[in-house]
Amino acid sequence: MVSATHDGFPAAVGAGRLRDKDGRLPRPSRRAVLAVAAIGLSTSLTGTLSACSAASGDTSGVTLRFSWWGNDDRAARTEKAIRLFEKEHPGVTVRTSNGEFGSYLQKLATQAAGGGVPDVVQLDYRQISQYAGGKAIMPLDGVIKNRTIRTSDMDKDFLRTGTYKGRQFALPMGRGITGYAYDSAVYKKAGIPTPRPSWTWQDWAKANKKIAALGLKSPDGRHFTGANDGGGNEDVFETWLRSRGKNLYADQTKLGFTEDDLTAFWSFLSTLREEGAIAQARDSVQAKSTETSPIGRRLAAADFTWDAPFPGYTALLGENIHFAPVPTTGGRQGTYFKPSMLLGIGSQSEHPKEAAQLIDFLLNDPRAGDILGFSRSTPPNREIAARVAKSLEGSEREIYDYSQTMEKYGLDIPPTAPPPGDLAIQTAFKRIHQRMIYGMATPREAARELIDEANRELES
Amino acid sequence: MSTVSTTRAPARAVRTTDPRPRKSKRRQVRERQWPAYVFLSPWMIGAVVLTFVPMAVSLYLSFTDYNLFDPPRWVGLRNYQEMLTEDPRYWRSVGTTMLYVVVAVPLKLGLALGVAMLLKNLSRGRGFYRSAFYAPSLLGASMSIALVWKALFNDGGTVAGVLDTVGIHTGGWVGNPHLAVYGVVLLTVWQFGAPMVIFLAGLQQISPDLYEAAALDGAGRWRQFMSITVPMLSPVVFFNLVLEVINSFQVFTPAFAISGGDGSPADSTMFYTLYLYERGFTASHMGYAAAMAWLLLIAIGAITLILFRTSRSWVFYADEEGR
Repeated sequence: MVSATHDGFPAAVGAGRLRDKDGRLPRPSRRAVLAVAAIGLSTSLTGTLSACSAASGDTSGVTLRFSWWGNDDRAARTEKAIRLFEKEHPGVTVRTSNGEFGSYLQKLATQAAGGGVPDVVQLDYRQISQYAGGKAIMPLDGVIKNRTIRTSDMDKDFLRTGTYKGRQFALPMGRGITGYAYDSAVYKKAGIPTPRPSWTWQDWAKANKKIAALGLKSPDGRHFTGANDGGGNEDVFETWLRSRGKNLYADQTKLGFTEDDLTAFWSFLSTLREEGAIAQARDSVQAKSTETSPIGRRLAAADFTWDAPFPGYTALLGENIHFAPVPTTGGRQGTYFKPSMLLGIGSQSEHPKEAAQLIDFLLNDPRAGDILGFSRSTPPNREIAARVAKSLEGSEREIYDYSQTMEKYGLDIPPTAPPPGDLAIQTAFKRIHQRMIYGMATPREAARELIDEANRELES
Repeated sequence: MSTVSTTRAPARAVRTTDPRPRKSKRRQVRERQWPAYVFLSPWMIGAVVLTFVPMAVSLYLSFTDYNLFDPPRWVGLRNYQEMLTEDPRYWRSVGTTMLYVVVAVPLKLGLALGVAMLLKNLSRGRGFYRSAFYAPSLLGASMSIALVWKALFNDGGTVAGVLDTVGIHTGGWVGNPHLAVYGVVLLTVWQFGAPMVIFLAGLQQISPDLYEAAALDGAGRWRQFMSITVPMLSPVVFFNLVLEVINSFQVFTPAFAISGGDGSPADSTMFYTLYLYERGFTASHMGYAAAMAWLLLIAIGAITLILFRTSRSWVFYADEEGR
């Protein structure tokens, strides 16, 4: 925008125009400079905000729009399942669009602002409150009651994750759970027993100190630590908090924890970090994927993660990597089954019945289940999950068995969908934690800053 | 030529005897103007639809709470108040941006002038060097260059590796909140080609007579630079300064790419525009973002005005000669 003005100037004078009688270019006058400055200024507002709109059309039969995010494997499986659905519902055409998670969220928000949310839409847990509260998606209680969408094979408590103010607005598409990927060979070398579902945060701290004491070196010759610093990860804090009987949110407008809780959590981790037992600031700051995490760079023995991405760790680091539960407080588990993603129906949909049929097909049809597999974590329909699980092996088998174990161990009921501000609070968590580990704030100052910011998000 | 004018004169005479009442002067002017407006219309429609209407909407939104889902809710000056008194991140983003402007602009202009001085006296290959130095300015605003930059300054990247071999252990700049902003500064300074070309054009305008006369009077190179080059070049310096300051306040792409879009680590690359973007598109506070955009406009306007005021004492204009 502005650079065009800038770059245009030398191009124009360089072309040989505007030369004076001696063949020289006149120096810019005061008025010319003023004019260019004014143009530069006026462009500073425009160009900052832009929007795009969705196309629509096609009148023959029923056309459903369905959008989701995900990788190529998920896309191929989803397309295959949709073709089967179209075959069984003549006259119904499903047009799909998918994208990468970050841009998907922004595109969907823009569509929602224009009233153009697709008929069937894949949503993140953190979007539910905003989309339901803003009337961008419609309540599903009717289609569930008349059994267009069957929920009898799904866990009632788990279905709660798609509710807003007591009504069902979205249905979970997959069931994910947090866990802990660790290198069993290092654990054996340090003499640490295999983590059990009841292991505690104190056990975890001791394990990290033992690993640090081994004096191992990373490939680039640096100190090898016990685990990644989970302090900037809202999920880890939530698990820690729930193991102490508290929640991230008390309701849609209030936090469920205090400054003291967060200070305690961050101080606990800071002590370990200062002792060299967990990853150092410069390494945890750069952890953005499996490859760039301390465990991926062979700087640490473990990392907090989710079940669905876990197979990526074994693929990168080998068969020594196993999946364990997140530590507990005195045996009380903080983890819970979380929807990896949900499905809803756009409130402006002209074909809500067909949209509901598509959702039911994707969630409950055994053949769709076979096609989709575990590409969106464990299917929420128990029958289908058990059916698909028979063919699993390796790390996928391990995470399936893990979720079975955790189900038997007994977890607290999942909370309802987080408030709209959670998306912003999640990034604030990471950012304020970074300020703290770089010494720009003490754990208490950082905790106060996070709570102030979270309260501002929740009240607006 | 002359035949044309003679044939035209009688035609005019006929007109004055036309029985119809004479058109008012204003109407005549209007009639003569309409083709101009027709030719201007694409630009005018574009300016209204793409600039003035969005600006008016954004001014309205800046007084509302708007999350894209619910209709905008009027909150008066609440956004401005929150920004100025309750949001520490706002002031941090202002600080980061000011630091960036204060460091990057003088470095970039200094380098541009220095290289332009070297190229001015080059007798062969000037066109080649000029193009070579200008090239980064053409590439600079692109995402891909920013990503390459990020890879260079990453932990284990080229820059960290080279500095390690000479005994300076910085780790990755990208992951270090004390250094990340200087990675963005260097990316900007590297694009000194655009002001350099302007400086070069300006330097060529200075009459060689002045230097000859000065040399005869025994002035050294430094004296010539300070007494001839600097005052004669001052309008060009001023032009570049104003443009670079305006551009620098709006830095976005490099910070977006290098930080992965979130100003990380620890908000150290959270420039004003990036924070504006985050407020609007990630946190869905469109009203707040609009208010930020307006304060930015006002601030850049004020700073530009101050630059113009100070320019009276140090810029020498050709059209004021002999005053």
